[in-house]
Amino acid sequence: MSIPLPVFVAVPLVTAFLLPIFGERGKRIATLLANLATASLLGLAIAVIGKSGVYEIGNWSIPLGINLVLDGLSSLMLLVIGTVGTAAMLFSARYMEQYTAKAKYLSLFLLMIAGMNGVVLSGDIFNLFVFLEIASIASYALVGFGCGAEELEAAFKYMVLGSIASIFVLFAVGLVYGNTGSLNMAYIGKAIQASGLNLGLTFALSLFIAGFSLKAALVPFHAWLPDAHPSAPAPISAMLSGVLIKTLGVYALARILFNVFGISLHTGWILVILGLTSMVAGAFLALGQWDLKRLLAYSSISQIGYVVLGIGLGGLILARGGNPAWASLALLGGLFHLANHSVYKSLLFLTSGSVEMSTGTRDMRKMGGLGGKLPFTRAACTVASASVAGVPPFSGFWSKLILVIAAVQAHFIWVAAVIVFVSLCTLIMYLKVQRHVFLGELPKTLKQIREHRGAMVVAMISLACLCILMCLLVIIPSLRSSILDPAVKALVDGLEYSTKVIGTQ
Amino acid sequence: MNTTLLIPIFLPLVAGFVLLFCPNRIRALPKVLTLCISIVAFAVAILIFTQGSLTYAWSVLQIDNLRLDLLLHAKPLGAFILLFAMGFGLLITLYSLKSMAGAKRLNEYYGAILLTIGGSAGILLSNHLLFLLIFWEIVTASLYLLITTGGKNSNFAATKSFAMIGASDAAFLLGISMVWTLSGTFVMSDINLATTSAIPIAAFLLLMTAAITKAGAMPLHTWLPTSGEYASASVMALLPAAIDKLLGIYLLVLVVKGLFSLQSGALSVLLALIGAGTIVVAVMIAMVQHNLKKLLSYHAISQVGYMILGIATMTPVGVAGGVFHMLNHAIYKCCLFLCGGAVEQQAGTAELDKLGGLGKKMSITFTACLIAALSISGIPPLNGFVSKWMVYQGIINMGSSQTSAAAKLWPVWLVAAMFGSALTLASFVKLIHSVFLSRLPSRLKNVKEASWLQTTPMIVLAALCVFFGVFYYIPLKLFIYPALGLDASTTLLGTWNSTLATGLIAVGVLLGLLILAIGQLSKKVRLVPTWTCGEVQPNDQMIIPGTHFYKTVSSMNGLRQLYNWQERGFFDPYNQSGRVGLAVTGLLRWLHSGLLPMYLTWVTFGLVVLLFVLCRIW
Repeated sequence: MSIPLPVFVAVPLVTAFLLPIFGERGKRIATLLANLATASLLGLAIAVIGKSGVYEIGNWSIPLGINLVLDGLSSLMLLVIGTVGTAAMLFSARYMEQYTAKAKYLSLFLLMIAGMNGVVLSGDIFNLFVFLEIASIASYALVGFGCGAEELEAAFKYMVLGSIASIFVLFAVGLVYGNTGSLNMAYIGKAIQASGLNLGLTFALSLFIAGFSLKAALVPFHAWLPDAHPSAPAPISAMLSGVLIKTLGVYALARILFNVFGISLHTGWILVILGLTSMVAGAFLALGQWDLKRLLAYSSISQIGYVVLGIGLGGLILARGGNPAWASLALLGGLFHLANHSVYKSLLFLTSGSVEMSTGTRDMRKMGGLGGKLPFTRAACTVASASVAGVPPFSGFWSKLILVIAAVQAHFIWVAAVIVFVSLCTLIMYLKVQRHVFLGELPKTLKQIREHRGAMVVAMISLACLCILMCLLVIIPSLRSSILDPAVKALVDGLEYSTKVIGTQ
Repeated sequence: MNTTLLIPIFLPLVAGFVLLFCPNRIRALPKVLTLCISIVAFAVAILIFTQGSLTYAWSVLQIDNLRLDLLLHAKPLGAFILLFAMGFGLLITLYSLKSMAGAKRLNEYYGAILLTIGGSAGILLSNHLLFLLIFWEIVTASLYLLITTGGKNSNFAATKSFAMIGASDAAFLLGISMVWTLSGTFVMSDINLATTSAIPIAAFLLLMTAAITKAGAMPLHTWLPTSGEYASASVMALLPAAIDKLLGIYLLVLVVKGLFSLQSGALSVLLALIGAGTIVVAVMIAMVQHNLKKLLSYHAISQVGYMILGIATMTPVGVAGGVFHMLNHAIYKCCLFLCGGAVEQQAGTAELDKLGGLGKKMSITFTACLIAALSISGIPPLNGFVSKWMVYQGIINMGSSQTSAAAKLWPVWLVAAMFGSALTLASFVKLIHSVFLSRLPSRLKNVKEASWLQTTPMIVLAALCVFFGVFYYIPLKLFIYPALGLDASTTLLGTWNSTLATGLIAVGVLLGLLILAIGQLSKKVRLVPTWTCGEVQPNDQMIIPGTHFYKTVSSMNGLRQLYNWQERGFFDPYNQSGRVGLAVTGLLRWLHSGLLPMYLTWVTFGLVVLLFVLCRIW
């Protein structure tokens, strides 16, 4: 029996179109429904852990019809989207009260989730593009949701650069179709294996890399992110930094490079270089920031660099014909970091939202000594900062450890040195956050502030607990073999993806 | 398999972690919990020490050939340091009950103390490098938390400390992953690398950096004086003065004698140079300090030099001396910081200018402080003398028995060590004078002795200073020789008969007291107001401040400029790398003009590069 994969897209899509009916009066019901939708998505994602399968829409067999494919990698991504989506939605319940048109916000949010789930499950590149556009357009609208000058400018920049990325991808899809006669990823993979890459396909490959790197905000394609992420409402920043750049960027990039085109030395090196430049540039840019959310946004660029570096390193080892176990370790590090980063970065954005809501500013120079006023926010932020800075036993430490060890094992000691150095920069930037936001003297203007409790605190605390517990994902063998290992295997198997998809018909 | 080993590690760690997040309203809970757990940890440490070689193993993680096992092994070196680390934990907890009574974030303070206790137990018992690293970073993070509970500006000091020690932790991580690829295992007892090629040497340097930063040796010491100035005294007494030294030197001994066999002459010279340089430079800076706690911090740096120098000699006596000095230093420096803290708390300031004449008001503190100060200055028969004496022996021994480059330079090291010791005495003369002797400022008329909870730890530590000095062979035979695997009959060169010397010194002191008493009884001393050209000055305003004692040194040509630069942070790696970082950031921010066409140009540029690489269009 095949798993009814379309529910992952259908649930958020249907709810999204239902919500505007409730309007301003039925806000509470709309909020409840939206939360139910995200929670059920999380439940579904947990239910399909360890499973794999192909779903053919309308029973039309591929390559004529459209298929949805669930494997280890998509299952990991569904879980990440579900977790962060649930927490961010819960946070929105209270946080979005300060904005008007909450129902519209909720439906845009759900549209974005529908798009991301679609990208993760889609088995053909054109549908991947369609879902990518759904998620992107919803996110453009969400970034500008506050309708202030700053928000609109950021949304406009984001839209221009995002559309360029989409055009790149669309153009590449067209080229691939012209050269292989198929849009289905499994069949394209087969065709490339059979006849090799011609100039048209390499051109398409470059466009894919550029397009998805734009979505993933890798340096030098990152310029939209530091404007867009801080301008969005906090839960949306959490979604954008936590999952959107990973789904539309890293996931799509990894899928196309490993499973469709097959990883080569060139693409492996490109990923490693993109990862390293993003890590270093993002870290230095974050260090100089005084705007709390902007600092977090730059830190996202730096952290996404780790993920891409891990994946690229694994690909490079595979392409060299090196030890597959070494490659698996690097990929494990990258994917584990992806999962960790989505949890702690979304938590950091949520705490920044809580701080902004209480103090009315994002400028760290105007804050200080908030620890006493916002105890829950401070606890959550401390846990998340410790995670991102790699303080044991919090989650970020483990993934960085695996990455360092994988790099040294494969004789890339200089890469390991860069990882460690950027990790130090990360530590310093989060020490800066702690020092200027939560420690020190409370300014006179902020004597009267209070913490907004309720749903917001629940969302933050649950993510903080996850930060502490994430290490179990690698330590407990059964969890690792059902969540991370299949995802790694999906990438290590590379072009066997086609036979797996076509063979299971 | 012995689960006793888990108690001193995980009981404090779990309790500490819970305390960090427990609401601050329950004021009694953290105190009681911490006191109980530190007593338990100390008791278990005694048990572990007496029972000898216990082991524990639990496989945590295995991915292919990457194994992470919780391997605990109570080796003699670790077990004896554990005993003292837990002891310091208990004493500081006792002291804090009173000294931190009014602090705001009590739960965090005690939580971090427990994390420190558990983390250091983990470091000392771990036989697996990765776990060592994990516990090591837990101690670093708890130092950060502890410093943040201090007063104003402590957040700056905490940030700086965490950033600098965090940098060394990063070096540690890189170092152990290199060790792992070279030797294929993380189990410490199975590793022995020769430092002959580039990668092992790099790994050695990285691990050494981690050890000396934690211990606070130059040039990576600058976190220590900054936190000394702003953190509370009990924090300084616990971590930088005692436990950080124990851990840093423990790691250094492990690295030099266990993980690597040092075969490169240059590395030995480097190690000895760090040791000797630290001794002299830090004490020179300490002499001119005006803040009690900052002065003590610089001495905490200077003394590390002796330990490193002792280990660098690679002779049995020298290494034993270095390790013994580590222990002695932890004892007297902890005592000094506790005395400093008591003075600061009772008098309300730690500025030497504003203190004076407290000897009669706080006689217990004065006595403890005097003993510890004489001990740190290496005055016989106290413990500081014995270990310094051993280090000197080690240096001389190295000069006569080895042929390496470091051995040929032995007179340099010896002169530096002895010179440093003299300057230490000089700067403690200044401290004792300006805090306890001198004249009591009228502001401090109502100062009282600190509570018994605070004086008890001081008395215990001061007594240990005397005991370990007079009966030096007891700790040597009980702790140091077994820990280093040395023959119990290893003797000190030269003649040092502590019983006779102690007797003679005691007689000398008694004679001096007798002369004083005769002078007082004969009543030939006359007290009159000071007369200055017709103006009569009341005596209680005539104060000779100790801060001017060594003005001649600091205003000497050449030195003056250096002191100036040092004060402005020219030699501070934290400031300098901060400057470089800001420059890079500035450049990158200049590129982020916020203009869309600029960003589009980058995208085009990126695509063009990709096309060049992938499609070979050149």
